[in-house]
Amino acid sequence: MLARIIADYNEAVFDTDRERALQIVRDAERQGISPEDLVFKVVLPAMDAMVNALSDQFSVNLAQHFMTAQISDAVTAEMIPKFHQAPEVAGRVVIGTAYGDMHTLGKRMVIGCLRARMVEVTDLGVNVAAERFVEEALAHDARVIAISALMLHTATGELGCRKVRRLLHERGLEDRIKIMVGGAPFRFHDGLYRIVGADAWAPDAISAGKAMAELLQEVKK
Amino acid sequence: MITGMDRLTAAIRGEEADRIPIFCNLLDQGAAELGVSLQDYYARGESVAEGQLRMLRKYGHDNVWSLFYVGKEAELLGCQRILYSAEGPPNVEDFVIHSWDDIARLEVPADIPSHPAFTEVGKCLQILKNEVGGKNPICAYITSTMTLPALLMGMEKWMELLFAGPPGPCEELLRKCHEFFVKEVAAYRQGGADVLIYSNPFGSADTVPMKYFLQRSLPWIEKDIQAVGAGGMVYYCGMARLNSVLSAVIERTGIGACYLSPLDDLAVGKRLIGDRGLTCGVINDIQLISWTRQEIRQEVKRILDVGMPGGRFLFGTGVMPLMIPEASIRAMLEAAFEYGSQGGKGA
Ligand code: B12
Repeated sequence: MLARIIADYNEAVFDTDRERALQIVRDAERQGISPEDLVFKVVLPAMDAMVNALSDQFSVNLAQHFMTAQISDAVTAEMIPKFHQAPEVAGRVVIGTAYGDMHTLGKRMVIGCLRARMVEVTDLGVNVAAERFVEEALAHDARVIAISALMLHTATGELGCRKVRRLLHERGLEDRIKIMVGGAPFRFHDGLYRIVGADAWAPDAISAGKAMAELLQEVKK
Repeated sequence: MITGMDRLTAAIRGEEADRIPIFCNLLDQGAAELGVSLQDYYARGESVAEGQLRMLRKYGHDNVWSLFYVGKEAELLGCQRILYSAEGPPNVEDFVIHSWDDIARLEVPADIPSHPAFTEVGKCLQILKNEVGGKNPICAYITSTMTLPALLMGMEKWMELLFAGPPGPCEELLRKCHEFFVKEVAAYRQGGADVLIYSNPFGSADTVPMKYFLQRSLPWIEKDIQAVGAGGMVYYCGMARLNSVLSAVIERTGIGACYLSPLDDLAVGKRLIGDRGLTCGVINDIQLISWTRQEIRQEVKRILDVGMPGGRFLFGTGVMPLMIPEASIRAMLEAAFEYGSQGGKGA
């Protein structure tokens, strides 16, 4: 039965049909599939399948990406309170768009994918100053500061990620807090994340979930 | 003397000039050239026109721009707040549409040329027309019906409305954006723009699934182009890829030029367009911030080697980021002039 559910769910996600995907999950729950299985055997593998499709150069478009992030987020939010045991949190993260940047779509998609992977995310909103990124990371005991930037000047500007790096360095926080970046400019320029002083990046929201899990593992050590 | 317009016309006809046409899209750079802030620069049509003319004299490429920044279109539709930066292009700070209810209240200006948000653009066009009209292609940037809502309500809300929202408000918004589109094209043409960049990221299969493109995007593209005519129109997806859609677009609209993404396979794009139109091969100008002179020359050569055989080819850039070093702009153009030279008259 699970195989059927997985197939139907994947199809709904690839068709960007949010309502149908949610319906499939709810029906499955009614048929006795546990909330844990729905998250770990249906939702997360569907995200992984998409990561694989991406790396195999299959064309996954923005709409599919957006819907996957939204659906995964919605399903996990609905299922987690029903878990028999609270799930283990994979780590804490703060996220915002870079200073001077008002573009929210990428951030929202990343948040959806992170939450589905049991990462606790605090959304700092748009146009976030470097000082605030660091203060909020400390206040929330976050291990990663995630910065989204849609334009080259907000990705590479002196007041964005570079400044967050400088602040972490000055305050001796570099071992405790890592920086992850993403957004259109990073997709157009190889190695740009290193130039701006980040520790990691991901080309899309679904891969961001995986990359974040790895980065969090690294800081835990 | 052979002009930029001669080169463009020759390329469109499949003939040779002294070299291929070269479009180098330098917008924010004009402010630095005039020694003023971006905010002061974009406040006056005279400055923008002067900036464009100086860019042309300085670098010797073929085109000038009447575009200030893309957010201008939102201002024409009621946006009151633009966020300026010293380091890059101005952005819409406050959306015109906050909730679906705002769609009913959205007003398309009755007359664009007399709209206060167009006054400075109009002045800029006038100067460009007087100074270089007919000699250098004057470009205008027009956002398509399908994409304009992203600028009015943000990508996030637009994706939501488009894919999961109620059809009523969605259709109403598209109808209004189409009405605006038609008026805007007329205003720019009347002002003297020759090349109209039809910007449509929502007409790329990077943004929407192919099935969706055929069902929803393509009919709107057809409607847009039918309403204004294909003359001077260039299909462009905001640097998203367009190889997979361009045949459909050419066949259904008669558009005569496609401005590819640097992420498209140029050889494939060129083959698909063939003799049906002008192929614009575009360099990844974000990499220009760190490529060496040698890397830049190599990349320009690669693009021209692929694009030039068979003619009907233009070399272009995206909207060049401000932080590209001047020397790199020169290196790119030098290479394009050199490798792009042809045997035609004026050589
Ligand atoms: C659609 C689009 C537009 C639309 C809509 C813009 C809007 N309101 O959002 C329109 C046509 C209106 C437009 C206008 C402009 N645009 Co535009 N646009 C695009 C396009 C095609 C897609 C952008 C997009 O929204 N993608 C969808 C989002 C979700 O993708 P994303 O941000 O990359 O996020 C994904 C990943 O990067 C990642 N991610 C994002 N954040 C994070 C964070 C972390 C931590 C991680 C790990 C991952 C991650 O996950 C996300 C989901 O997979 C890109 C080119 C391209 N192919 O990317 C240009 C692009 C972003 N635009 C660009 C520019 C310059 C502009 C303008 C500033 C032009 C101008 N001079 O006015 C204006 C700004 C308008 C404004 N806001 O006022 C440039 C930016 C680079 C630069 N030169 O600075 C781009 C890259 C094009 C280019 N190559 O030149 N644009």
